[in-house]
Amino acid sequence: MAKKKNEHPDQIDLTTFEWISVGPRDPQGMNLPTCGSCHPGGGGLEFDRDGKRYDQRLKAEPQLAQTLDGDYYQSQWDKTGVVEADCLLCHLPGYNFNERTRQLKMLNYKWAGTAASGIGLVSGFVRDGQQPKVTYNRRLFNEDGKIVLDLSYPPPAENCVFCHGISDVKKRGFSWNDRVNHDVHNAQGMNCAHCHPAIEDPARRITRLQHQFAKGDENVSTVRDDLDHVGFRNCQSCHDQGYMGAPRPQHLSIRPNHLEKLACEVCHIPAVHRAGFEGFDVTTGAMVNYPTMLPAPGAGKLGDEFTWRPSYQRDEKGKLWPVNRFKSIFFTNQDKDGIHYPLFARELKKGYEKAKEQLKPKNPQKPELHTPEQIKIALLAFKETLQGNKRFQQIRPFFHKGGMMYYLDGKGELVSGPDTTWAGHSEGFNINHNVAPASLALGANGCGDCHSPQAHMFKGQIVTDMFGPEGKPVTISSGRLFGCQPWVFYVNQFHQTYLTPYVSLLLLLLVFGLTLHYTGQGPKGADFTYEPATIERFNLTERWTHLIRMLSFFLLAFTGYIFFFNNVTMLRMFFSTPATAVVVHWVAGLIFVAAGIVAVALWARDARFAPYDREWLAKRGGYLGGKEVEVPAGRLNAGQKIFLWFTAALTLIMGVTGILLIFKTSLPLSLSCLLSTIHGFFAVIFVAAVIAHAYLGTIANPGTWRALVDGKVSRSWAKKHHSEWYKEIMAREEKEKGAVPPEEKA
Amino acid sequence: MKRLLIISGGGLALIAAWLLSLPPELQARERACVPFHLKTEDGKIINPITGENADQPYSPRQTCGACHNYDEITKGFHFQQGWDRIRDDYSRAKPWVLSDGMMGKF
Repeated sequence: MAKKKNEHPDQIDLTTFEWISVGPRDPQGMNLPTCGSCHPGGGGLEFDRDGKRYDQRLKAEPQLAQTLDGDYYQSQWDKTGVVEADCLLCHLPGYNFNERTRQLKMLNYKWAGTAASGIGLVSGFVRDGQQPKVTYNRRLFNEDGKIVLDLSYPPPAENCVFCHGISDVKKRGFSWNDRVNHDVHNAQGMNCAHCHPAIEDPARRITRLQHQFAKGDENVSTVRDDLDHVGFRNCQSCHDQGYMGAPRPQHLSIRPNHLEKLACEVCHIPAVHRAGFEGFDVTTGAMVNYPTMLPAPGAGKLGDEFTWRPSYQRDEKGKLWPVNRFKSIFFTNQDKDGIHYPLFARELKKGYEKAKEQLKPKNPQKPELHTPEQIKIALLAFKETLQGNKRFQQIRPFFHKGGMMYYLDGKGELVSGPDTTWAGHSEGFNINHNVAPASLALGANGCGDCHSPQAHMFKGQIVTDMFGPEGKPVTISSGRLFGCQPWVFYVNQFHQTYLTPYVSLLLLLLVFGLTLHYTGQGPKGADFTYEPATIERFNLTERWTHLIRMLSFFLLAFTGYIFFFNNVTMLRMFFSTPATAVVVHWVAGLIFVAAGIVAVALWARDARFAPYDREWLAKRGGYLGGKEVEVPAGRLNAGQKIFLWFTAALTLIMGVTGILLIFKTSLPLSLSCLLSTIHGFFAVIFVAAVIAHAYLGTIANPGTWRALVDGKVSRSWAKKHHSEWYKEIMAREEKEKGAVPPEEKA
Repeated sequence: MKRLLIISGGGLALIAAWLLSLPPELQARERACVPFHLKTEDGKIINPITGENADQPYSPRQTCGACHNYDEITKGFHFQQGWDRIRDDYSRAKPWVLSDGMMGKF
């Protein structure tokens, strides 16, 4: 819009007068709304920036139309009248919005409301130099001349979508009263005003009369941000309280951090079923909209029946929201002050007409600036056509597309780079409507709705550039846009794509291998289970330490399994809610870490490596080869020593990552993703090691398990499995015998 | 019979009380306008039955404003869309942006 004060006609874009009626007037384009169609009147459509009514002032000061005043330049307010706030646009069911648009485009400003409401026919158009006249529909009037209108309070949704339907299907794919693009609230008979009532807030001195309608905080628009959420009924305000009978969801199968970090809309609007716009291109001077492009081959046109899935974007608090990320293709001129000024439509049109001579596009209405050569041609054309433009002190055109900016260097060669200007910053339009039934929400079929390898949440493709060099969309995985570092995304994908699907197979292969070992190699030595146990192998402290490690590990593995595979059925069966399972997991983890520290303290001395361990390792503990061989071992054999230190290291890794993950909601996303992957990866190794350890401690070595029950083993077992330790015991016993007083010997 | 009438009357009274206690947006039809005169922008009555000013467009300011506070209503952001904050030097970083609303945004 033009500024109020201007020094040259080149500086004037749309005046307020022109702005009301701008738009195509051919038969195909006549119904396309103009700016004044949706701006309901009053405000800037009635009063100028000095607070004076346009028509009255221009009548009093007709010379204003010849000045460079942005409100009056080349205007005809004295003939068109002003657009007063049209109450019937919102409150009259059956209002004819297209007629309003037609009247405004034909400059019948003050007649638009009368014609569009249907209370009268308007003949004649100011644009055609005529004086419009009204013929009222007398059937709407009583004998006393009073009109009877069936007005609606609050406004019917159909009237709201005159404007919001057009703009919202474009920006977000929203629609209302649409069986294709359903909404559970719409299905329950709710209207716009149920969630967006007129604000009544005494603290802010806002009354319902003032028509300040409650709103959320749409990302892109900034109008009255101070009123964001004031009086607004969001998901919580109804579903927490059961307002209007809203069900109160318990989300028992949803992890608590998901409820904190994800907006309700993320899960409850898994897809939109009308094509929104992927972006726009104003290169030609006209707004060329491109409908949603993915899934390929994309929608035919805006508003078509077309199912697509949102992109996701974090707000300033780190919460994730579904959005439609629109892309814009346009030109700016970098002026002497360093600021990139967007070009006016007429400047674009002039430049593109020049460029078109060389570009020769297949469709003149759809520019094709994809290759560096095409972009260079366009920039040279714009540079030429902008020469002499009085609104700039310097001519340096830039082309902005797909997060990149293109310009010409001093030699006229094309230079490109990441778009660091304001034009390179792209916000997505929030998606809040067309809420799906709970049975269709993400998570209704388990965590795999988002956490399976191909789920849209992470692997869905999002367009970042509508036209790459080959004219095809450039895409990126959805998860790359969540705010973490690219390498963290790939680490996380390793977790999702490889670790989770194949870990069961790996563990099954391990068990299969152990079975083969048991059936092929057989258990080691004779069965000492029934021999009298006379040697104490582990004291009570050691046994309890092992028991606590074992039980807590079992709990960790069990809850970890549920998390790893997102097994909602088992989660609900054993823990009721994810919150309980999470607490059980980290409490068991803390106990396990503490027991691990005690275990290391208890067995560190026994786990020191001795020279004879080389032989044990050389003979692989006698577990391979199919022959029974004697292997030397201390109180702990070399394998057990390795296992102790290995599990100590794993405990350290799992403990550090696990304790940090208790506070994952406070951690940066990249760090928590990395920690999760490390934690999951080493958990798998830990479980595999413990399975092997359990095998060796039970059926592979009969008689071993009792050492952890009553703490004792037989002499034969000790001699067989821990020969060096047995020698120490014998030597100690001999020493003790030798130390017996002579009188006792007698 | 008398008891039935009392019970029915009491029931209707309760229903009426309940309806009145509903949030305003649920009382939709409670506030429909009564028949009213259309008025021109000069405040003159339009009477198509008698032909008085019957070729003039109606003015919402004069017509609706006769009962409702038009000036107060049009202070709402739906009507202003930043017009109440518009000024030529609104943004130094983006000099073409003149307000925080849709009027003067581009």
